[in-house]
Order: sequence, then structure tokens, then C-alpha cells
Amino acid sequence: MPRPDQEPFRYPLRWRVMDMAEAALDLLWPRRFAAATGWLMVLPALLLVGLLVAGMVEIADNSLRVLDRSTFRLSEDYTLANYRTVMESATYGGVILRSVWAAALTVVFTLVLAFPFAYLLVRTPRAWVRKTLLVVLFLPFFIGQVVRAYGLLIILGTKGVVNQGFGLVGIEPVRLLFNFPAVVFGEVQYMLPFAVLMLAPALTAIPQETETAAGSLGANWIRVMWHVTLPMAKPGLVGAGLVVGTLTLTDFAIPAMLGGGSQDFIANAIYDQFFRTADQGLGAALALLLVALGSVFAGVVIAVFGAGTLGMGARK
Amino acid sequence: MKYNFSRRSVLAGSGAALMTGLAGGRLFAAEPEKPAEIIVRAWGGEWVDALKRGVSDPFTAATGITVRHDLTEDNEIQPKVWAAVDQGRVPPIHINWDTTTNATKSALRGVTEDLSDLSNLAGVTDLAKPVGLEGYPIVNTYGYVYVLAYRPEAFPDGAPKSWKDLLDPRLKGRIALYNDGIGFHFPAQVAGGGSLEDIPANMQPAWDFIAKMKEQAPLLGEDPDFTTWFQNGEIDAACTISTNALAAKRNGIDLAWTVPEEGSKFDTDGLWIPKGLPENELYWAKQYINFAITKDAQQVWLDGLGLPGVVPGLTPPEGLAGDPSYPTTEEEFKHLIRVSAKVQVENESDWFAKFKEIMQG
Amino acid sequence: MTSPSQRFVFWGLVLFSVLILSLPTIIVVGASFTAGNIIAFPPQGLSLQWYEKIALARDLRQAFGRSLIVSLVCLAVSVPVGTLAGIALTRYRLRFAGALQVYLLLPFTIPLIGSGIGMMLVFGQWGLLGSLWPVGVACAVINLPFIIWSVSSSAASLDPDLELAAATCGAGRVETFFHVTLPGVMPGMITGGLLMFVLAMTEFLVSLLLTDSRTVTLPVQIYNNVRSIITPDLAAVSSVFVLLALAAVWLLDRLVGLEIFLKSK
Repeated sequence: MPRPDQEPFRYPLRWRVMDMAEAALDLLWPRRFAAATGWLMVLPALLLVGLLVAGMVEIADNSLRVLDRSTFRLSEDYTLANYRTVMESATYGGVILRSVWAAALTVVFTLVLAFPFAYLLVRTPRAWVRKTLLVVLFLPFFIGQVVRAYGLLIILGTKGVVNQGFGLVGIEPVRLLFNFPAVVFGEVQYMLPFAVLMLAPALTAIPQETETAAGSLGANWIRVMWHVTLPMAKPGLVGAGLVVGTLTLTDFAIPAMLGGGSQDFIANAIYDQFFRTADQGLGAALALLLVALGSVFAGVVIAVFGAGTLGMGARK
Repeated sequence: MKYNFSRRSVLAGSGAALMTGLAGGRLFAAEPEKPAEIIVRAWGGEWVDALKRGVSDPFTAATGITVRHDLTEDNEIQPKVWAAVDQGRVPPIHINWDTTTNATKSALRGVTEDLSDLSNLAGVTDLAKPVGLEGYPIVNTYGYVYVLAYRPEAFPDGAPKSWKDLLDPRLKGRIALYNDGIGFHFPAQVAGGGSLEDIPANMQPAWDFIAKMKEQAPLLGEDPDFTTWFQNGEIDAACTISTNALAAKRNGIDLAWTVPEEGSKFDTDGLWIPKGLPENELYWAKQYINFAITKDAQQVWLDGLGLPGVVPGLTPPEGLAGDPSYPTTEEEFKHLIRVSAKVQVENESDWFAKFKEIMQG
Repeated sequence: MTSPSQRFVFWGLVLFSVLILSLPTIIVVGASFTAGNIIAFPPQGLSLQWYEKIALARDLRQAFGRSLIVSLVCLAVSVPVGTLAGIALTRYRLRFAGALQVYLLLPFTIPLIGSGIGMMLVFGQWGLLGSLWPVGVACAVINLPFIIWSVSSSAASLDPDLELAAATCGAGRVETFFHVTLPGVMPGMITGGLLMFVLAMTEFLVSLLLTDSRTVTLPVQIYNNVRSIITPDLAAVSSVFVLLALAAVWLLDRLVGLEIFLKSK
């Protein structure tokens, strides 16, 4: 009769499963492949994004065919006619300029609002203030673009809240909606949470002591911000600017809902070609142009300033 | 809205009509299996409400088939249907309620089912037949006028007589047009001093007039926008289908409309069925359209829309007899501008592009 | 912040931001309780009639259910994929890392309308349109950088010595991964996952292109309704969205703390 301490050790099931998993892994992916392990792990993400690439190839193919208006089908053979149409049309030039200008304005205004927001968020000593600001930020972020634009429609209408307020102080109702400023305002409102969320981590990384030190050396707060905080927050500003810029440049819903039909961005023009006039070829050419525009913008920003907080996983 | 008959009696009457409509089909074969639902693409607001009252609800009452209304824009559904037919998938809708011009594009592309065998086509007027197409790839169901709708309050001197009256500086920012200019191109051609015979060869007068109109900073929208804008006091005048003005009027907004001296565009809408549906669903979709052109269905549906239908002997909706938006006599049609579907289909996208170019500039 | 003028300027701007961020939400929620037939502010009388109406509206309920499914599919796809990628980008030395970064940022640099149309064409050709799960996959693709980003910032703050220590103690690769690495990046997975869920729930443009009336999701349904006559039932639907957003924020706060978004890499 074996003594208790001689009882054979019971190997727990979990260990056995784990051992099997390790063995399977050693078999399927030996340690000598270690150099490629990282690539294996990003592979699913590469494939997923590959869907977009496949879509782009499809769009590129469409952009090289023209619409035949007797059958309403795209031609079999390839031509650059659609690109010529885009280049020669005065409409698209104007629409592209408007989108770029709106994106630039939105980046500036959004950053001007986002910076103090993120700064207070990070620096405030009071927990409840921080929590309140965070909730204020997250709520619209989670509500979605359509519902928010709808809220703005109610507020800014000729009979809306703002105009009713004007009425109380004797100002005639003003057309606040359906113009360029309304669209930019809508974009800023939409982008603000994105910008703050990209800025805040960068500001956290700045030790408060540097600011205090600059202050004790006699710099007033504007100089501290300008020479210390802003330069140190650059990665955050770049990341935020990049996201806000590309998202605005390519936005569809806000110009469609707040623009009253005369403030189209490129995305709206693409939509029109694809859907209103059923000219997929021309729409595809415009879409590719927009991709190029967005990529060039992102590329230039990254080349000049670095990827900022957008650099995924890059350790600094 | 007031009807002379109760809702129940309308349902019962329509049901009976539907049964006679269906009788022809039953003689040949047993009725194909009923689908759980059929999907009809429709415009929102007053448009879909009227369709539901006049056609869909009675159809459901008579057949037990639920009708689902898909409020996707007609322009958005078009490429989706085209792609589905091309790729051999079942199309996303059973019936498309579409402008005749857009429907003609689909017919030219060959994605529409032929509807020539609908029994009730025997009793319809010429308006139902799509011009320039063989057979019935589309059945037109009513005509409509792009009127000049206005708030009488903003026109103290009486109804505007000409489209040029919209150029009055006090109306700046208070006018609305369709965002592709549809309905406005042809009157603009006349108002700009051009002639209708020059369409499509020389439309410069239209573009000149539209460029002047651009200075008035018009709002640009789609059907439901007009009703909303009138209701919210955003606009004083619009070039829109009378139905949208009628909807706002029925909601208690003081509105009137007129056909100015240059004329107004007259056009038709229709129903069609995309190819690729299972046999039984195709059958019931056809029955739906067959029912939509019965007198009973048309009476209620078009009372809601305030538009003239394609079966003879309809009673005009209250207050619309003799109205310029409800043309029935040859005299009334004289003031209206009709341009063939062929010319429209071939040139419409250019006109839209040109209009956009001016408005977005 | 010691200077009064700085405090004045900063708080002034922040209060303005707070106002423009919350006012639309407050107005929409307020308008949903109106007893009248049109959206007006202040609402005409108080009633829950519009909530009753949307609770009975089959299409809205179904659209809500579909949005839930889309969000769950998006989660199921994006969390594993994004977690692996986030870890790999941070913990492994990858060649061509720069090119990889640019490639993985494509969902942001390709405009949504381009992505949407592209996937509409591709899914259409593969015969997948008409079902719901491709919409979820599409949502995962277009928002993928968000989850990679949040996982990798978690992974970056994880001390690499921990994994080495585990290996030294005899843990295999699988064990190290599941017992050291994965728990380490859990906060990033939760934040990223919640973000993906909510973004899929509210995703509009791509869903507009990929759905039809049998598969329409809630934001598209709302958009279609906004384009017809605007009635207060939309305000009620929007209020449900607000409630949902509140729940998500609360959940996030309980699980990882909202402050996680302030953490620097």
C-alpha cells in the first residue's frame, strides 16, 4: 500500500491542455520562425484591410470605363475620359477647393477648442470635473453623426432655439443653417471629441514641472504655452489634426444635412455621380481622386511632423 | 383629410376590385405560393402615406401579403438593383416606385420585367404607356406638375405670374429648388428667352436664367425637404411637385401654387419590377401593380397625392378640380411643358451637371 | 494654471465646447417628450406618446436588433484581429514597419464613401450583399485603427521583462501569451472593443451602401426618416441612442475607468 506521498502526481487538466497547445504550436510554428511571428500576428489585420484594397482596385477599374447612355452600362474598353471630365469641369474644382478649405478651417477651430479642453481634462486636480468633462465628451462621440446633425437642425433652424433666443432680445430671425459656416460648425462639433481624445495622452506625457519651471523663470502663461506646452504636445496635435483633417475632407453627412444642397463636399459629388446620375465610372474617378487627396495630405503631414499619436505601437 | 366614404368601405371596395383583377390569373393555373411580404420602394412623408392608404393596405387586406415600404431614395436603390441583377442576386425590392425618366434608364439597361400582360392595362389612358419603349417595362401611374408653390403672405400683390418674379431681391434666400434642378430646367429655358424647340440643342437661355437664380441663394433639396421648409418657415416659394405643397397645406400651412406664364414641367411616375425575383414573388408583385391601376386604388392613392391618375372617371380631390396642378383637359395641358422621355434620359445627367456647376460655383 | 487670465480663457473655451457638445443632445431629448406633432422647443406639453409610437414601430425595433447584430459581428472580428496586430506592432521588431503603419492607416485615409462603394462592389461580386454579417465585417475594417491603437498603447506600457520572466520560470509561449501578455493588454482590448461596438452601432454611410430594406440598420433607418417629414418620433429614437451611449460610458468607466483615455504611451 503506497504511502500518501508516493501517490503518483495528478497532472491537472489545464496543464495538459496547455502542454498540448504548446506542442501544437511548436509543431505548427517552430521557434525558429520567431523572426516572422510578428508578421503572423498582423496577418489577419492585413487581410481585413485588404478588403479595402480590393474595393479600391474595383473602383479603379470602374473609373476607366465610361457610361453608355443607350444601355446605361459601363463600356468594355478602358479610357481616361472620366479623368478628363473631372479635370475640365468647373464644378469639381470648386467642390474640391471647398472641401479642402473646410477641412483646413475645421482643423484650426477644432484644435483651438480641443487644446484647452484636453489641457483642463489632464491638469484639473478635481476628479469630478475630469469625469464630467469626459462624459460630456463621450456622449456625443457615442451618439453618432446623423443624430447629432439632426440635433443641430433643430437648434439652428429659423424657428430653432438660437433664433428664439435672438427673438427675445429683439433680433430678427437669421438664416443660420444651409450655408458654409453652418457646415464648418457642424464639422467642428462632430470632430471635437476625436481631437480631444488624440490630444489628451500627449498632454499627459508633459510633466507639469516643466511648465512650473518656465513660469518661475518669469515666462507668462502665453509664453509657457507657446514655447513649452505646445511644442511638447506636437505628437498629439499632429495626430488630432490628421484625423480631423482626413475625416472632414471626406465627410458626407454633415454637408448633406446642414448644407442645404449647395455646400457639397467631394464625397457628396461622388455620391451624386454614383447614385443620382448613375455614372459609376465618373463617380469612381472622383473617389480615387479623393483617396489620392487624403493620402497626400496624410503623407505630407506624416513626412513633415511624424505620425504623432497615430503611430500605432511605435514606442517613443 | 376627409373622404366621402369611410375607411372600412374603401378597404372592402378595393378588395372586391382586386379580386376581379386577380380572377384572370386564376383561370390559368393555381395561384402561386404567396410570399410573406413584398417590398415596395417609395418616397417618404405624404407620398408613402398615400400609397399605403390607397394601394398597400387594401392589397394586404385582399391577399394577406404584408407590404413593406422601403424609403431608400430612388437614386440610391437604382445602382443596388442594377448590381443585384447583374450579379444574379435576388434584387432588394419587388417593386420600384420611380420617376418615368429613371425607370426608363433601368428599362434601357434591361433590368425590368415586362408588364404587358397585366389585365387592368385594358382600362387605362395613354398616360400609362411609357413613350418610346416597347411594351410595358414600366406602368405610369399618374402625372404631376412642377408648380410654383408660394406662401400668399409673402406675395401681398397676388400670385406670382412669372418665374421671373422669383428674382425679386426680397426673396433672396427664401426660394427652394430641387438639388439637381429637375422641373426647373424647362421653364427656365422659356423665362430666359429661349424656346422649347431648342431643347436639348441650345439651352443657354436656361443656364443664364439659372445663373441669375443662383444670386438669390436658393435652398436645394428633395421632396420631403420642401414640405419641412415650408412648415418651418424657411422658404416663401419653391419650384416643386404640387404634392409637397399640398402636404404642407394639409398640415395647416397657408400655401398656394400656380403655373406661371412660361409654363411648368409635366411628367409621370410609374411602377416597375426588377428582374431576378422568384417566380411566385414576381406574380404577386405584378398583382400589386395591376391593383394599383384599378379605379378604386387610384382614387384613394391620388386623393392623397392630389394628382391626376391614369384611369378615366376619377373624382378630383377636394378643391383640386380645375387646379393647374391637376390637369385633365386639353386646355389645361396647353400650359404644361412635356419633353419626351428619350430626350430626358439622354441629356438629364448633363443638365444635372450643368445645374450643379452653376449652383456649386 | 495659476494665472487668472489663463483660467478665464481656457475655461471660456471649454465651456463653449461643453455647450456645443451637449446642447443638441439636450434639445433632442427634450423635444422627444413633446405632446405636439412637430418638433418645437420648448415642447408643447409633456407626453410619452412618441416613445409609445417607436416601441410599437416594428421597423425601428428590427433595425435596432440588426444594429446590435452588426456591432456584435464587428466585435467578434475586430477584437481578436486588432489585439494580435496591436501586440505585434508593439512587442515585435517588424521589418518595413513604416510601410505597415501606412497600410494599416488606410481605413482612415480612404474616405468612407470610397470604402463603402469599394466594399459594395466587392461584396456584391462575391454574392454576399443582402446578409447582415458583411456589414459587421465592414464596420470592423473601417474602424480597425481605433482598436489597434488602443491595444498597442496598453501593450507599450507593459514591461517586456514580465514576458521574459515568465519564460525564465518555464512558461511556454502559449502560456506566456494567455497569462502574461493578454491580461496586460486587457484594458486596451476593453476600451477598443467598446469603441468598436459603439462605432458600429452608429455607423451610417457604409451601412447605407451595404444594406437594403431587409437589412437596414438603425442609423440608416433614422437617416431615411429624417429625409421625410421630421416628426418627434425621431427625437425619441435619438434619446434611446443617448441612453445607450450613457450605458456604454458607464460600463467603460466601471470596467477600465474613463481616465484610461488620458494615459500616455
